[in-house]
Amino acid sequence: MDNKKSNQNIDRRDFFKKAAASVTAIAGTSLISSNARADDPAIMKHVPWGQTWGDPVTKDRYGVPSKYEHNVLRRNTALLASGNYRASIAVTPIQESMGIITPNGLFFSRSHGGTAHVDPNQYRLMIHGLVEKPIVLTLEQLKKYPSVTRTHFIECPANGGQEWRGPQFNSVQFAKGFMSSAEWTGVYLKTILADLGLKKEALWMLAEGSDNSEMGRTIPVDKVLDDAMLVWGQNGEALRPEQGYPVRILLPGWEGNLCVKWLKRLEFATEPWYCKEETSKYTDLKPTGKAIQHFYANEVNSTVTSPSPEIDWTSLKDGDIVEIEGLAWSGMGTITGVDLSFDGGRNYVEAKLKGLVLPKSWTRWSYIHTYKKGERLLLTSRAMDDAGYIQPTIDQEVSVMGVEAVYHRNAVETWEVTQSGQVNHVEIRTMKEVKDA
Amino acid sequence: MLKFNSKLILSTSTAAALAILTVGCMGNTSTDKVILATNQVNGKATIDGGNIYPVINGKTGPYYVNPQVKAIAPKLYNGRIPTANELAAWDKDVMADGTGLPEGSGTAEEGSDIYDEKCASCHGDFGSGSGTYPALSKGNAYEVHKTLKNNRWKDPEADGPVRVFGSYWPQVSTLFWYIQDGMPHPFSKSLTDDEVYALVAYILNVNEMKIDGVEVDDNYVLDREKFLKIKMPNRDGFEPNIAGPHALDDVRAYYANPANFGGQKVKANERCMKNCQEKTARTIRIKNGGIKDFLPPLSDVRDLPAEKKGSLDVAAAYENSCAMCHSNGSGPAPGSKSEWAPYLADGKDSVYDKGIKGTNSGMPAKGGSSLSDADFKMVVDYLINGK
Repeated sequence: MDNKKSNQNIDRRDFFKKAAASVTAIAGTSLISSNARADDPAIMKHVPWGQTWGDPVTKDRYGVPSKYEHNVLRRNTALLASGNYRASIAVTPIQESMGIITPNGLFFSRSHGGTAHVDPNQYRLMIHGLVEKPIVLTLEQLKKYPSVTRTHFIECPANGGQEWRGPQFNSVQFAKGFMSSAEWTGVYLKTILADLGLKKEALWMLAEGSDNSEMGRTIPVDKVLDDAMLVWGQNGEALRPEQGYPVRILLPGWEGNLCVKWLKRLEFATEPWYCKEETSKYTDLKPTGKAIQHFYANEVNSTVTSPSPEIDWTSLKDGDIVEIEGLAWSGMGTITGVDLSFDGGRNYVEAKLKGLVLPKSWTRWSYIHTYKKGERLLLTSRAMDDAGYIQPTIDQEVSVMGVEAVYHRNAVETWEVTQSGQVNHVEIRTMKEVKDA
Repeated sequence: MLKFNSKLILSTSTAAALAILTVGCMGNTSTDKVILATNQVNGKATIDGGNIYPVINGKTGPYYVNPQVKAIAPKLYNGRIPTANELAAWDKDVMADGTGLPEGSGTAEEGSDIYDEKCASCHGDFGSGSGTYPALSKGNAYEVHKTLKNNRWKDPEADGPVRVFGSYWPQVSTLFWYIQDGMPHPFSKSLTDDEVYALVAYILNVNEMKIDGVEVDDNYVLDREKFLKIKMPNRDGFEPNIAGPHALDDVRAYYANPANFGGQKVKANERCMKNCQEKTARTIRIKNGGIKDFLPPLSDVRDLPAEKKGSLDVAAAYENSCAMCHSNGSGPAPGSKSEWAPYLADGKDSVYDKGIKGTNSGMPAKGGSSLSDADFKMVVDYLINGK
């Protein structure tokens, strides 16, 4: 058995060596001269899974990914380890994302007191304050309201926020993965309020979680009466604990932090609350010394996901045709177009949108490129939305926001593709030279 | 409820006009596919400067809406009215005007004792911060407040702003409310109102703050009346205005102007396609190797995962639940005989017992882990005996 396995390995190495010589054939230039190639043992030999029983259908009553996919994971770093990883974040491998939906197990996880595990039988939601009729709902009662289903991303406004003063992460997962996307099911808050009767003087709503930190945020009634949802469904199943099981509030397009998880209480009032996460944090300090508070929407943004530091071009050959691919998103509207630059945002061509283009949603885009061996590129994407916004250059954004804002950084992002095909995170900007320490 | 002026949406909304224009640019000329969006509600700008998608012809954006729901929603009351006691039990928030602030009192000195026992292991001596827990003070709040104008925009090596409670937070109500609800982090909602007053007094004390001109010294007795007189140095440091009956108009006006928040607006056919960077812009690279302590390390390899030895990875359990305190001096270090000696004086079972139950001096039960008792004891052994 061992002998057979090692023979197979030798065969396989041999195959790759020979195949490398004719790899340009894959690019479509030389399909005829295929006699020189070795036979692929993956085709020539019986594979182990083809000669034995597979698992019975009774295994894995809740299915799990192929064990070969074990490196597709949320990841974390000690830089963002607050509170023994209980006031912290684990980020989504967006380099592995397909389409505009994140699998629930890979949805980024952020909490301020750890992931709470709420007993749905003890779940209660209280709505009170400036309403004619306050209410307490069980989970079952909440789910009796007529539901809607919508596809939206949720983004931590600190996505990219570690890089105001220059790039730090040579990784698209860490540079842009503080976000994920799902199809959410729940009820519009305005549907519930239609009977509760919001009083005219109510301007603000407190949303409060039941977790260890009792995470709360103040939300203006404009959003409450537009598209705010109380959601219990995520990609066709119950919310995951990391996303607030059994109920969170979803404010399409707005800061992930505002979409309070493990939701227990909504109160209406004439004045806002000054919660910890809307004063000490989630405020953007400008060079004037004033900070923006109540910065709600995640602005128009985009990134190239392939190539990226995780998906390099070192194996490409001269003349290979390759799809440059990425994501665009806006919390202020619908993506209307994405431009792509090969010289760091100096000159642009139009990229192409792909698939569904939905409001306040991830949108896929791509551009077909013919690779020239040894070329050095600076790949920059730039998105626009139907509210009329376009991503700024770093210099434009920094001239207003400075570099201490932490949140809501949406300037264009650049990957350098080196002559050998390595991909590095760089920034194209006007900045004083700082030497390595 | 909001009413949308459909005339406005269809004729004058710049956003809708833009949507038509850009969809046309992408080669899709079928106008019935245009997503109808507007940045106006009742003639006012949207609250966030973005678009909304009112229901038009039975759809919001691309989504169909069941038209029956609007008619029946005013008749749906699926729950029950909360009792007065239930409201009191959950409505514990503290607002800037003192709504919700309980009666009680405490001195900075009392607060200091509570702090040393329950807070210092994470927040450091005198609120100076430790590990990945935030500092609560960086000295005199009125002086530190002046650093908020520091910005490393033009000189990356200059001093940055210092944002701690005393220098940055606009309202002191936030501090009381958060300590009451969220602190101490692993044992939240365990402090009495008097203890919270004492801790607030202590934090004011280490920030060298004054109330009504009087310094909050060790013996200062903070109570509800004095609390309501506290003025934070940075109370006017935020925009847009969110207080008062016209707050929402102020917020709408703020976000209607992209210059306030660094936004860029442009008509799609007028956007820059050539020479779009400043001439002085150059390629800035990651300094000093960047941050790469990623867990687990980046990999896109598709192979079979390594088999785990035994059921518990003791070293990983230590890293996840213990290292934060036991590697920075807040708790005895792994394998340090001298540091463990006082804990072992009562025998190993006592160490197990205290670890499993947690202690008042900052050790969370089982380090906050969900390990079984048997597995947790293996981790304790690892801590005592070293790696």
